[in-house]
Amino acid sequence: MAWRIGVDIGGTFTDVAMVEEATGRIAVAKVLTTPPDFGQGVLDGLRQGLAEQGIDAAAVTLLSHATTVVTNALLEHKGATAAFVSTRGFRDVLELRRSARADLYDLFQDGPSVLIPRRRRFEITERIDAQGQVVTPMAEDEVPALVDAIRASGAETVGVSLLFSFLNDAHERRLGDRLRSALPGVQVFLSSEVLPEIREYERASTTAVCAYVGPLLEGYLARLQAATGTLGLPPLHVMGSGGGVLDVAECLRMPAAIVESGPAAGVVAAALVGEQLGLPNILSFDMGGTTAKASVIADGEVTVTAEYEVGGGVNGKRFIAGTGHPIRVPVVDLAEVSAGGGSIAWVDPGGALKVGPHSAGAMPGPAAYGRGGTKPTVTDANILLGYLDSGALLDGRLRIDRAAAERAVAGHVAGPLGLSVTEAAARIIEVVNANMCDALRIVSIERGHDPREFSLMAFGGAGPVHAAFLAEELQVPEVVVPPAPGAFSALGLVATDLRRDFSRTLYAALDSVDPARVADAVAAMEAEGLAMLRAAGVPEARWALLRQADCRYGRQAYELTVPMQDGPVTAETLRALSGAFHAKHAQTYGHANEKEPVQMVNLRLTVLGRQPRLALAQASRPGAAREGERTAWFGGRPHPTRILWRDGLPPGAAIAGPAVIEALDSTTVVPPGWTAGVAEHGMLRLARGA
Amino acid sequence: MPHPALHGIDPARFEVVKNALLSAAEEMKIVLAKTAYSPLLKVAGDYSCGIFNARGEMVAQGPDLPIHLGSMPDAVGSVARAFPDVAPGDVFIHNDPYRGGSHLPDVNVVMPAFHEGRLLGFGCVRAHWPDIGSATPGSYGAVTEIYGEGLRLPPVRLYRNGEPDPSVEAIILANVRTPAERLGDIRAQVAANRRAVERMLGLARKYGTDELLRIMDAVLDYSEAMLRQALAALPDGDAGFADIIDGDGVIEQGDTDDRTFRLQLALRKRGDTITADFAGSDPAVPGPMNAPLSVTASGVYAALKMILDPDSLIPPNSGCWRPVTVTAPPGSVVNAQEPSPVVYANHEMSHRVSEMVFAAMHAITPDRVLAGSQGTSGITTFGGLDYRTGQRFVSYESTKGGFGARPVKDGINAVSAVISNMLNTPVEVLEMSAPLRVEEYALVPDSGGAGTWRGGLGVRRSWRVLGHELRGAMCFERAVTPPFGQAGGLPGSNARLWIDLPDGTRRPLPGKGAFTTPPGSVVTVEAPGSGGFGPPAGRDPQALRDDLADGYVTPDAAARDYGMR
Repeated sequence: MAWRIGVDIGGTFTDVAMVEEATGRIAVAKVLTTPPDFGQGVLDGLRQGLAEQGIDAAAVTLLSHATTVVTNALLEHKGATAAFVSTRGFRDVLELRRSARADLYDLFQDGPSVLIPRRRRFEITERIDAQGQVVTPMAEDEVPALVDAIRASGAETVGVSLLFSFLNDAHERRLGDRLRSALPGVQVFLSSEVLPEIREYERASTTAVCAYVGPLLEGYLARLQAATGTLGLPPLHVMGSGGGVLDVAECLRMPAAIVESGPAAGVVAAALVGEQLGLPNILSFDMGGTTAKASVIADGEVTVTAEYEVGGGVNGKRFIAGTGHPIRVPVVDLAEVSAGGGSIAWVDPGGALKVGPHSAGAMPGPAAYGRGGTKPTVTDANILLGYLDSGALLDGRLRIDRAAAERAVAGHVAGPLGLSVTEAAARIIEVVNANMCDALRIVSIERGHDPREFSLMAFGGAGPVHAAFLAEELQVPEVVVPPAPGAFSALGLVATDLRRDFSRTLYAALDSVDPARVADAVAAMEAEGLAMLRAAGVPEARWALLRQADCRYGRQAYELTVPMQDGPVTAETLRALSGAFHAKHAQTYGHANEKEPVQMVNLRLTVLGRQPRLALAQASRPGAAREGERTAWFGGRPHPTRILWRDGLPPGAAIAGPAVIEALDSTTVVPPGWTAGVAEHGMLRLARGA
Repeated sequence: MPHPALHGIDPARFEVVKNALLSAAEEMKIVLAKTAYSPLLKVAGDYSCGIFNARGEMVAQGPDLPIHLGSMPDAVGSVARAFPDVAPGDVFIHNDPYRGGSHLPDVNVVMPAFHEGRLLGFGCVRAHWPDIGSATPGSYGAVTEIYGEGLRLPPVRLYRNGEPDPSVEAIILANVRTPAERLGDIRAQVAANRRAVERMLGLARKYGTDELLRIMDAVLDYSEAMLRQALAALPDGDAGFADIIDGDGVIEQGDTDDRTFRLQLALRKRGDTITADFAGSDPAVPGPMNAPLSVTASGVYAALKMILDPDSLIPPNSGCWRPVTVTAPPGSVVNAQEPSPVVYANHEMSHRVSEMVFAAMHAITPDRVLAGSQGTSGITTFGGLDYRTGQRFVSYESTKGGFGARPVKDGINAVSAVISNMLNTPVEVLEMSAPLRVEEYALVPDSGGAGTWRGGLGVRRSWRVLGHELRGAMCFERAVTPPFGQAGGLPGSNARLWIDLPDGTRRPLPGKGAFTTPPGSVVTVEAPGSGGFGPPAGRDPQALRDDLADGYVTPDAAARDYGMR
């Protein structure tokens, strides 16, 4: 029996998800995360999972991993001692950024600290112009002094980003060769290898992020690979931010590609379940203890964006750049809000009720957990409204102190607003739901998608509690709660393809460019992609190459990414691309100018090594059936509400709301007027009406 | 008990609708950036978006330029007054500084939102066009009347029944350089407004028109109540500050240099109100440094918002400013009257006014003020023929200086200050679209004023002119008087501007006005640094050593300013 295994390291738990390829049968092992040596937790979880399920290590076909090591290094400023080399006159490109401040009115704000301080930023005389022509040849005679300076700076790694290297990489390549041979043991990242795209700051920033985290990531992956190797497991793969897995070599070539490893895995899992259920349009909604993340899957495709900042504040709601380090690599398009079970409710000086951004986190946690928390959280409100069990959670393992939740809500919200405790709890849920709707709106309505054509896939510990309310607000007709929602990201790790994204800047007016020029660029990228697939040993039958192009009207500055036809690139291919762009512009912004020529800016190629499809399944265990009743509040009124245990529900069952469906890792709320159906493979599907 | 400002509206619903209005303003911004044609809008972010009520009061502003806080409501109010017959499908355009505009390049596009026959309010997008006509590409010439500053549009109906009026568009496009680009920008401004209108309609359908309008009013009262609370928490007091402005770009008969002029501010803070009076400021100047009162007020509001609401809890809208009174003698340089020219004043005077508020407020709340920041938007424009395409181009860039040092922190290097938050133009994007080559873009060592907390550094940027002769123009301040230090901190560096001609000679350039650049010449600007906070002797020696290692401070300056040996 062949199995695939995904390992997701979270703040508290390390989840190991195992899926049997032939049947889609799911098994999950949860062990404690073991910082700072995360490998220990991974090994514990793998050993436990393999033993419990009786899996032979030799039968494992894919071992896939999501890691926050890159993101944490950036958030905690624990990266390498890195140096940076620029064109003469541009030493400060990383520090000058885009010159805007992230917060308009905060007197005491600072920008993100520069990853590479000025003392380790160096220059070399050279210049290439906007047409890609050499204006000033690179000063070869400056290289020895540059090498000495880098060595003296103690740098373990170097990022090189020269102006216009995306048009002509000759100087960067030459300098890279000389640095690599003169500085053995020092990793050298070239912007033309990492990201051959226009905009010097964003390209330099992406390159600097790679240099900053490269050595750390190399050490981490080497240790983990060695450890999993001792169990006889296959080579390690890592989830990329764009929703595919990379092998270790690819990861080290482009460390910036794995920043949103974990969240991307959740979205991939949602796409898989959507495909399995025949639902091409999914709003994926992941709500944990501190944040909620929304993403969109349209026509079966995960949406990726190339505008992303790592290590900054919450990024989904903010358009002005400047809180983090931009990386221009494909990242699953997530909108994130500070809204989780632990988010704290408070009344501001103007008398408005707010929830978040502060969170009680895992410690002290919600007041009801009895670990010293005194502030009212979303979880406390859910307990008071009867959505969560007021006796115990985690199948009895976590005792709940309802009185503490009451005190917290009374003291901080109900009192100041002159409401009853239950009314106050309902208001807290209303506000947090509104915040999460904002995130869902950003990825749907703002991107031109109508939520009424989507299903909401809810996961994360708290997602299924709130999902039906959000669906009601956004007029989403259906909610899907997948199997194992609490370990869903780990499931996504095994469901994904081997993937690498290539991009290349190619400025061309689509109505006049010689198609051969485009064809050459596409062919060059495809050759590189095929070499990657061969090196990874993917059988040819599972290769897939997806072409796209970033296009715009000639004088615009932002592009829309549209798919490009397969086959030989001809004038007809480019005409079709123009048509696709006009249509997408009209869909996104409400107008298109079909008379105006379309300009191509970047070519993109996604190279996939497809995995055989999985069909996830969780069997019903009739023996586990349990049922009870308690009071829950909906629409300001108490309702006697059925309480059911999810594992015991038989396929085909239909449960009319109000009802609460409980499980070890997550609780699903079915409001009055909604019905939950138990579909095949243990999926719950909630819809309005009977 | 719920706060009286909410007028009995459910606090949760209030929060939801208030946020929905703010999100709508944010969405407008995204639509504009992604569809606009001119680099100023699409990459530099020189625009503001807002949602307004039927009276023209601003209900929600996007996260954009504080400089527009004071004057956008006047601009929308002018439209509302000029068109009592406003109808669905209308779009208005307007840039008149004497009717609530800021300066002619800032073009307001305003669209009403109707639901079931009732006017809910307006969307407004104020966007800086890189050119609005006049003798100088970029419209930044030092002229002496507003008639010379370019095309002036009082509130005019641009669309009727959702269709553009071709006559009005023809007049506009005949008066601006690069008209095709401007038409793209108009379409983008309309698209952004359309998004605002859709969002307002959605809210009206969901909550009912009456409830939406009630909440829109309550949002203003809520901001007012919060600002009053913040004011009441500060001690009462009177404070003042005077500052000298470099000049207006016009050299008067008998003079050899641009003449400086003086601004005088008296603040009077009592209970939950504050008054800013500019009596004693010099009369209007011949050149375009005259600020309409709404521009002066924007500078006051932006500084007060930073002082009173550093955590951004108070939504910026017209309600905020009810407790604030701004007065200035009519005909003075801070309360300009027709036909005084105004183009520089919009950002230069509001920058300086906001810094004067910080300087004066030090006497009332010393923990919440900045030392002097760059005090200028540092504008450089170029225009002419692109030798590569044979087409006309206009470029407009803002070079950043230092953000003032703070009571417990250094200043910030090279970032927009207080009233402004424009982005720079990427070198690679600029060179693709203009016949210029940037030869240097770097921090200027020693430009941050010494202090316990060092001022932020300014920036040097150099452009080589390629191909044909071009026309350039500058609008810089702080070339004469430096950004002030605070509480014993030293001033930041002055702005410096010069041109290196192909024959090897170097000539200084004036801070304001147009100039000619032969091909091969190199124009260089150094934006001012910012002032330090607290005496230099108080600086942590390790911080000074780090500054030396990073080259923010040179050994000479460390010896001179900090006594380091």
